[in-house]
Amino acid sequence: MRKKLPVISISILAVIVIGCIFAGLISGQDPYYMHTDQISQAPSAAHVFGTDTLGRDIFAIIWHGGRISLTVGLWATLLSTAIAVVYGCIAGLAGPRTDDLLMRFTEILMSVPQILLVIFIQAIWGEATVLSIGTVIGLTSWMAVAKMVRSEVKQMRNAEFVLAARSMGGGFFYIMWNHLMPNFMSAIMFMIVTNLGSAIAMEATLSFLGLGLPTNVISWGSLMSLSQNAMLTGAWWLLIIPGIFLVVTLICITEIGEFMRTANRREKLI
Amino acid sequence: MNTNSTAKYILKKLGQLILTLVVLSLIVFFVSRIAPGDPMRAYYGDRVEKMSVQQLDDARERLGLNENIVTQYMKWAGSALQGDFGISYIYKRPALQVVGEVYHNTLLLAGVSFILIFILGLLLAVFCVRHEGKTIDRVICKIGVATNSVPEFFMALVMILVFAVTLGLLPLSGAQDLGGGGTIKHLILPVAAIVASHLWYCAYLMRNKLSDEVRKEYILLCRVKGLTEKQIIWKHCMRNIMPAVVSIMAIFLPHLLGGAYVIEMVFSYPGLGQLGVASAQYHDYNMLMLISLITGASVIIANMIAQVINEKLDPRFKTEEIREVE
Repeated sequence: MRKKLPVISISILAVIVIGCIFAGLISGQDPYYMHTDQISQAPSAAHVFGTDTLGRDIFAIIWHGGRISLTVGLWATLLSTAIAVVYGCIAGLAGPRTDDLLMRFTEILMSVPQILLVIFIQAIWGEATVLSIGTVIGLTSWMAVAKMVRSEVKQMRNAEFVLAARSMGGGFFYIMWNHLMPNFMSAIMFMIVTNLGSAIAMEATLSFLGLGLPTNVISWGSLMSLSQNAMLTGAWWLLIIPGIFLVVTLICITEIGEFMRTANRREKLI
Repeated sequence: MNTNSTAKYILKKLGQLILTLVVLSLIVFFVSRIAPGDPMRAYYGDRVEKMSVQQLDDARERLGLNENIVTQYMKWAGSALQGDFGISYIYKRPALQVVGEVYHNTLLLAGVSFILIFILGLLLAVFCVRHEGKTIDRVICKIGVATNSVPEFFMALVMILVFAVTLGLLPLSGAQDLGGGGTIKHLILPVAAIVASHLWYCAYLMRNKLSDEVRKEYILLCRVKGLTEKQIIWKHCMRNIMPAVVSIMAIFLPHLLGGAYVIEMVFSYPGLGQLGVASAQYHDYNMLMLISLITGASVIIANMIAQVINEKLDPRFKTEEIREVE
């Protein structure tokens, strides 16, 4: 089954990402300005997406919020990938006993749902910030990738080029960076992309539940957490519009991840 | 297989289980102790500021905070074994007691969702494989991928908005009507939200497994024998992929529980998830530790059960494992 490049997903994602980067230019309004006379207004010409319970223009807020959501996602993914690569390489290159021990440890960590781990660590960390929440999500989402890295490394640990590098005295990080990573990065790339999606979703969930970013730091999740009660008053746009931005971003990321996975499998078959 | 090796096998499994639980409790305990915040605050909250020096010292002594961390763990584990997980700071009662009052709600919610996802996932997988490559399969796959990337809380919100607020068909929140009753009515929306956001995760893995299976050579023989497609899939393929399906469901359990916890929060459904989030908000570490432990332990035990089921289904699992040991 040949899969075409997911052009639509890539372009939609590009629009969202560029929009978020140049948030100030697009909206042209101050996202934090509270139009106190126009609270909870439905979408109209003046406010394309309406205003929220504090009278802030949602169209302006959404691009700024996206910035935070994407930053958290990227930082978390970067961190989890770094941990996973190092951990997976150690397990893959180590002897069977260490390897077994390390893998058992990841299995135990994986037995607790990520959301619970995140809530647990974040509660101990204290007040959430963009940095802390990204770090906590990164710290709790590396296990699956690490397992994959380990099995990839195991397959090539005895390959000539690795043995040669080792016998010439190449250090662990040298071998990892120059010999192992170029060989397995393409195989784990799709998992990294998937992780990016779930990190963004996790931040939104946490902020929505009131455990993540405080509501004065705007992200898609915290924006929606403000409007939990608005739903009952029929102010659907407060929930649905940020939600759609979030969901569309996630679907695009998943699509790209799926494409990478099948593309990678095809390479392997050939 | 003689009884001796079976006994040895059971002992080994039990040992593994206990070891894993000990490590899990170690992680949970140490994470809660390396907290930058004061553990005293975790126990007494803001009351710490109002306590006198004498009171603080007494409390430290009582909580064993003056001893080194290993002794602290031993003490904590000792009382945990006797069912004492400390006092919940919010509820001012033993944490275990509070959990005991709500755990059945979570069990019901997660259990019903789990069974539904298992059945629907299998049916969906079979349907997709029987129509593999056709438009309907591709459409289902697309929809599946989309629903799978929608966060649970948003799925739940949309459902509340449609079925509870706009149509007014189903209750908005809670596990029961005021004064009891209506359990099923209150269960429909949360279960639907969980199933909708997690079904494809399982169905997709099952579909791929089944899709590989129908390409094997014995299928050709079945066809030659004149069996119908239905018979081949349900009687022959199912048997072969069952161990894989059981493993999938075991891997899926932590995802399901995480999802159920979020859903409980959105629906204000009294259960472990809502308790967990509330205790995180109010820094009730004893409660959080207990909930993490219960969740982790149930996943680990479920994994063990899955392994045992698999060994019953396919004896090769067992012999391989034992050969590995010797």
